[in-house]
Amino acid sequence: MENNSQVNHKQHQSKWTLRNIILIALIAIFTGVIFWGIGFLYTALTVALTPIGAAPFANDILMGIWCMAGPLTGFMIRTAGSAFLGEFLGAAVEVFLGGQWGAGAFISGLVQGIGSELGFTFTGYKRYDWWSLNASIFTTVVVTFAWDMIKNGYDKFALPLLIGLFITRYISTFIFGGIVTKMIVKLLDRSNAFNL
Amino acid sequence: MNPGMKLLLVVLIALEISFTQSLVVNCILIAVCFVYIMVKRMNFKTLFMLIFWPMFPAVGLFVSQWLYGSAGIHFAWVLFTRIYAYVFLGATFTLTSSITDLALTLEQDFRLPSKFAYGVLAAFNLMPKIREEVQIIKTSALMRGEVFHVWSPKLYFKAILSSIQWSQNLAEAMTSHGFVEDEPRTHYRIIRITGLDWVTFVGLFVIVQAMLFLIKY
Repeated sequence: MENNSQVNHKQHQSKWTLRNIILIALIAIFTGVIFWGIGFLYTALTVALTPIGAAPFANDILMGIWCMAGPLTGFMIRTAGSAFLGEFLGAAVEVFLGGQWGAGAFISGLVQGIGSELGFTFTGYKRYDWWSLNASIFTTVVVTFAWDMIKNGYDKFALPLLIGLFITRYISTFIFGGIVTKMIVKLLDRSNAFNL
Repeated sequence: MNPGMKLLLVVLIALEISFTQSLVVNCILIAVCFVYIMVKRMNFKTLFMLIFWPMFPAVGLFVSQWLYGSAGIHFAWVLFTRIYAYVFLGATFTLTSSITDLALTLEQDFRLPSKFAYGVLAAFNLMPKIREEVQIIKTSALMRGEVFHVWSPKLYFKAILSSIQWSQNLAEAMTSHGFVEDEPRTHYRIIRITGLDWVTFVGLFVIVQAMLFLIKY
């Protein structure tokens, strides 16, 4: 592995090598498999919230978990497009595992991928810290929410409900895409298993 | 049909029905896809899963739109059928096409660099092993009295450690089998986009456009 070549923690750019591509795909599949296991949680939440008409909240509460692969791969493989690829493949895995979304997951993957990628684009693929992670969270939330306005008919809801959904999604994405991702990266950094 | 073309068509149609609000077209799409997968002989257990699991989000969206939406019951039905249209559109692809064929055609016909096509394919072929590994990670944590949840950073950390190791091994294995990045390749199995594929693709796409244009309800 390349970790012995660079001892200092100077931030570097990654390249699209075969190994990095496989690594992104593997991380995406791992996260996809882990999330797939909580499909029942989503269904349970939906069932619980449906009678009061709050089922979309199930979507927004769990949104952060579904959007984790993007920030994670974007943060590890530091080059343009890595967050997009990771997030998109993570969603594609769900399609092949037989998730309940069908072709919708491909499109959600594209949308979420663009969302998490944009954050790193805005920071020019130069900064990889808490700031760029937050930029990625922000763009993920905004892009996916805009998409749900169209796809899931959020635009027909009244403003207070809309704000509630947006805040729920932001908190969820912040916890999983931000705090949990940060903790994972910290573990990786300490273990010296990967040259971040 | 060529898997790449099929996927493109499915995603394009799914994207389109996300922006349009035609209940009838959604139902037609579901029916056509249903017939297609039945002709391709799908077993009833899969069919049951396809209908059962999306029921929850579909009903959930329906009820919330019905109670709080400003667009009325028609739009609620549109959302309900939209979910099923996605699922059945997706099923026409996932149940009848192999991911290997998809990777091959993406490389040969869609000009995707071979390192992406084969790299991702190699990773996807590890899927059964990945599911096993997730179980192993969780079980070994249990043996130390630790429970890993979906929000436990350590679970992902260990998954990433495996990924790092496996990606290194896979890449080396591929290189030692003669895979060279960014070099032109010859192909043992050649997948082409045929004239028939084009006709089907354009034909179906035009039909969907016409339906969406004509049927507004």
